[in-house]
Amino acid sequence: MNTRKLTSLLLLLGLVAWLGLMTGCSSDDDTSIETDPEAVVEDVVETVPEGVTPEEPADGVGINQEDVTDYAAMEPAEYGVEDVFFGYDQYDLDEVTMGVLARNARVMKEHPEVVVLIEGHCDERGTVQYNLGLGEKRAKAVRDYLVSLGVSSGRLRVTSYGESRPFALGSNDQAWSKNRRAHFARP
Amino acid sequence: MARAVIIIVLSAWLAGVAVAQGPEVSLGVVKEAYERIDIYMGTLDVLSGGMASVDVATEMETTIAQDLKFSGLFRVGMLESQAETDSLSFQFAIRGQVEGPLRDAEVTGEDAPTTISLDLVTYPDGQLLLNKRYRPMPHRMRATAHHFANQVVEMLTGESGIAMTRVVFSRGSGDRRDLWVVDYDGENLMRLTSNRTLNLCPDWKPDASEIAFTSYSRGMQVLYSLDTATGKVRQIIAQEGLNLGASWRPDGEELLLSLSRSGDPEIYRISPEGEILRRLTAVPSIEISPEWAPNGRELVFTSDMTGTPQLYILDDVGSSRRRLTWEGNYNDSATWSHSGEQIVYATRENDLIQLVLIRATGESRKLLTDARWRNCEDPSWAPDGRHVVFASDRTGTFKLYVMDVLEGGVRQLTFGDEPDITPAWSPR
Repeated sequence: MNTRKLTSLLLLLGLVAWLGLMTGCSSDDDTSIETDPEAVVEDVVETVPEGVTPEEPADGVGINQEDVTDYAAMEPAEYGVEDVFFGYDQYDLDEVTMGVLARNARVMKEHPEVVVLIEGHCDERGTVQYNLGLGEKRAKAVRDYLVSLGVSSGRLRVTSYGESRPFALGSNDQAWSKNRRAHFARP
Repeated sequence: MARAVIIIVLSAWLAGVAVAQGPEVSLGVVKEAYERIDIYMGTLDVLSGGMASVDVATEMETTIAQDLKFSGLFRVGMLESQAETDSLSFQFAIRGQVEGPLRDAEVTGEDAPTTISLDLVTYPDGQLLLNKRYRPMPHRMRATAHHFANQVVEMLTGESGIAMTRVVFSRGSGDRRDLWVVDYDGENLMRLTSNRTLNLCPDWKPDASEIAFTSYSRGMQVLYSLDTATGKVRQIIAQEGLNLGASWRPDGEELLLSLSRSGDPEIYRISPEGEILRRLTAVPSIEISPEWAPNGRELVFTSDMTGTPQLYILDDVGSSRRRLTWEGNYNDSATWSHSGEQIVYATRENDLIQLVLIRATGESRKLLTDARWRNCEDPSWAPDGRHVVFASDRTGTFKLYVMDVLEGGVRQLTFGDEPDITPAWSPR
């Protein structure tokens, strides 16, 4: 790096550090935005310094990305879209579930580029085929609720694994309740 | 001398084979006295070919004897299993000879022919009823024995034998379940898929040339067909939602399938090329698990239109719907016997799934299993209309078992640690 570039970088880093400190102090404020200092630094480093012609990445993505986190490559749970659970032989949404889905809808609206696959699952107490049908009902109930909250249906794919791909092994209430779920997955 | 020792050991083993294979446990529910034919499996003469031919003879004897036992139609006696043999009054016997290649023959190894000659005779007078001469390749000895056993079954009972049938099933857990196939006697286990996803609910085309099955591609269900000669897989259909529970019509021209493309699962008739031919149900509930009747004009399926899953019979244009099950609040997984008279299905009682036998008319409902077998699911009839393969987790893991529906005996078909589910018994 030449001196000019280095100076610009140092100034920018200083600005960033100051910003980091400022936002860190307002932790009591509910409306503060949590910044990830590393992400901002990455952004700054890739900003094109004056007078230098940038090399365009082969895929044409602009270097000045506001948000380098690739949500499309993450599992939905990693960015705050959580699974919901169901009663035995049921596919209706209880209050807790509706609360979780309301949060999920907010997250999804913040990231309009993201598509999720809603998988319906069942516990083992039933037959393979009927449980595939029940799993689909669970996944569709979740999809329909998210759509009613304003999430575009084109971003919500639905499938069912029935009882055939359980999360918890075991023939007890604990395992069973963990398997009666709608799971959000990366398609 | 060595040969006699081998025979003694093998006979003793065979007499106890019911225990070795898995106990002939009587379920104590369906038990009728049934007349079996007493037949004597003689020791085959080995005319030439040394130890290799002795092994062939032994394999032929034990396989034929086991096939006849497994048919449920015979009691089999062999040399030196004197205690068992004494209790039988033989009407028929099997005898024969094995001619292996001569030591100084010019042709050796794989090309060296072994000739097997087998006779079915009356006992004790030895009147010849059937003679077969085989010249099988070395790896086809067992298949040859199966073929002859079928001939014996057919000649003496008028029934077609099942000794050459196979069972396809889904094995695995977690996010991988592959299709495997096994001979009806548990031998020749072979893996059919290895595509790192769930493969379920296979169904044989009636000429056994294809197996249709449900799989997943990028999380979405697809119906595939596997060519049993080449192993190649082709897509049949991939509609939005479920593509589940394929059932080939007895003439092989169409399949039944449950598709949820309309919003909820319904029963459709489709072509083997994936064209939707006819929609058979239109109820806002789950319609699933279709199975053709052997007459190819009716079907049984599961619907929860009354609130819980029950079995219904329908004709092939979607009319004349008749409810079949009136007991229990969870009935699914119907399989229709080849005679058209009986249906076996799964019912959930107190959280456990049990198998039920019912006449296609809806009469004579009988439980075939009980809670000692834990869950018994996914029944599939054998083409003999007497045996049913099913999955049970009585050992803690689902394995496949074969039940003699007439007499209640059960033998274990598959072993090992991985769960085996959704079996389908091949056609003859």
